[in-house]
Amino acid sequence: MPDNTITLPVIDTGVIISLILVILIAYLFIRVITFTLVFISERVGHHRITVKMVLPLLKFSIYGFAIYYILIYIVKWESSQLVLFGGLFGAAIGFGLKDLFADIIGGIVITIEKPYQVGDKIKMGNYYGEVSDIGIRSTKLVTPDDNLVSAPNYLIFTQAVASANAGTSEMMIVIDMFIDSCSDPVLAMKILTESVMTSKYVYVSRNRPFTILLKDFPFYRRLRAKAYVNDLRYEFEFESDVTRRTWKEFSGNGIEAPNINILEAGTINQTNAS
Amino acid sequence: MVNEKIDISDEIIGFQEEILNIQTAIAEFESGHNLNVAIISEPYAGRTTLLNEIEKMNLHKIIRFSFSSIVKNKDEIILPYQSKRIVLIDDCQFLFMRKIGGFEVLEHFLNSTAAPDKMFITTWNFYSWKYLDEVMKIGKFFPVQINLPKFTAGQIKDSILSGYKKEEIEFVEDVEFEKERIINFKKYPVAIKPWNKKINLPYIRIDYSGLKFRLSKKEKRATIEDIIFEKIHNVSNGNPGVAKIIWLRSLKYPIIKPSRIKDESLNIELDYNESFVLNIILSMKSIKNEEISEITGLDFEVDKIIFQLSKQGLILTGDCSCTIKPEALKGIIEFLKKLRMVW
Repeated sequence: MPDNTITLPVIDTGVIISLILVILIAYLFIRVITFTLVFISERVGHHRITVKMVLPLLKFSIYGFAIYYILIYIVKWESSQLVLFGGLFGAAIGFGLKDLFADIIGGIVITIEKPYQVGDKIKMGNYYGEVSDIGIRSTKLVTPDDNLVSAPNYLIFTQAVASANAGTSEMMIVIDMFIDSCSDPVLAMKILTESVMTSKYVYVSRNRPFTILLKDFPFYRRLRAKAYVNDLRYEFEFESDVTRRTWKEFSGNGIEAPNINILEAGTINQTNAS
Repeated sequence: MVNEKIDISDEIIGFQEEILNIQTAIAEFESGHNLNVAIISEPYAGRTTLLNEIEKMNLHKIIRFSFSSIVKNKDEIILPYQSKRIVLIDDCQFLFMRKIGGFEVLEHFLNSTAAPDKMFITTWNFYSWKYLDEVMKIGKFFPVQINLPKFTAGQIKDSILSGYKKEEIEFVEDVEFEKERIINFKKYPVAIKPWNKKINLPYIRIDYSGLKFRLSKKEKRATIEDIIFEKIHNVSNGNPGVAKIIWLRSLKYPIIKPSRIKDESLNIELDYNESFVLNIILSMKSIKNEEISEITGLDFEVDKIIFQLSKQGLILTGDCSCTIKPEALKGIIEFLKKLRMVW
């Protein structure tokens, strides 16, 4: 009769200490690398996203190597023991660790597929903000209100993620201005055009042009500017700068805001919704 | 095509190809094809020198104008050039202001360049041109665009030494320069917000010209003269105007030593509005304080910003105007590129 028993390796105090030590070293190493790369990236201007791009990959590689080292050199498992461990691990996932495991797999998918990167502005579920970190379990976002949101990585499988800049530091901003139907639309468009192109936050190139559009509605006209901000961190400043300077110029040139009658307001809301 | 032989003076250094292109465009214009020319370069890179040479070569055909401050009224550019068909205009960046309503004069000028019986040879600050070409596509009005190249160390040497007699200048190899370290440890100040403190993080800086010197000395190739001009070339980033200023600053007539040529690396710390004002000054090279206020609006205080820029050694002030400090040009461009203010 062949002996089918699998002997589990002896895990003594020395092994546990070594195990903790390896995890601790990996963690500290990641912290140092993260700090250094973030520090460098913040000093290279618009290339910062490129520098930060390598962070998740480094994290997963270091943790992966640490796990490999623990299994092969510290615990010294053989293939049969690994199979047994796999079975136990599967059972653990079934019992309650499935969310954690889904997060880790989500993290690996994010690292390889790059639907977004550290530094991007993304909308994930109900949250919008700049990705400050992609970890093993979660992605951290800094919202415009400076809240730190941890979104679990598995959301990548269940929710659509919109990245506004997709790895570049410039980002398209859409600015709407509403004017009265009686105001001169040509002059208004000229003012908005010049307001966008003279903003201190604008970025224009052959691949990043700006557009000014006009649309007529029953009781007002909408001017829409589509232009790139030079750094996504100035998204709201850019919008505010263009709006402020445009309205200042509008008021000096007799261009007025829509004169909404309370009875008409409901109609306008319906039009907007459609 | 024009096949006439074009004579170019040997006196001017470094722009032979550019002069040839401009002279070809002039010859084409005379045979019936209008090709307006835009000469584009960084501040101090030799636009005016090139324009002087073109004027000298075509003295009887040309009329020349220069703008020294921003032109605010389009009537100011109704130029009395009826008699001559080729018009040279220096510093065309003064034809616009980066503000709402600041492009009327430029638009008027661009429309007048479309006249078939006139040829316009214009010079532009590189950063103003780049901005205007992206936002207004002004390149369409100037089929011949000449970007002035950076000078090599040899060209800088020829250009500077052309002002002196042979062996008038003594190039002295000094001990101080030999002692200068190739690898230097510098300190970078980092603010730690929670404690409101600053710490100095060490970083390594390599002196490439010193390294080159040591290597070439081992090979016994480079003379001290070559080393000096190589260093000036590195510090000026190949800009002939800046190189000349560095030369004059380092020369203790008639002696020049390598250790006197200092690469003053700038540690620029500016907020966004200060950087924007610096960008405006760079795009114009020189601008009046009141014009900066007009461009930026009244939402931030220009005097404070100018003081800050001056304190950091980035601009020169005087006579209610600001000018980019030549020695700081390289650092300023790197800084503004990082912020994506210059494209």
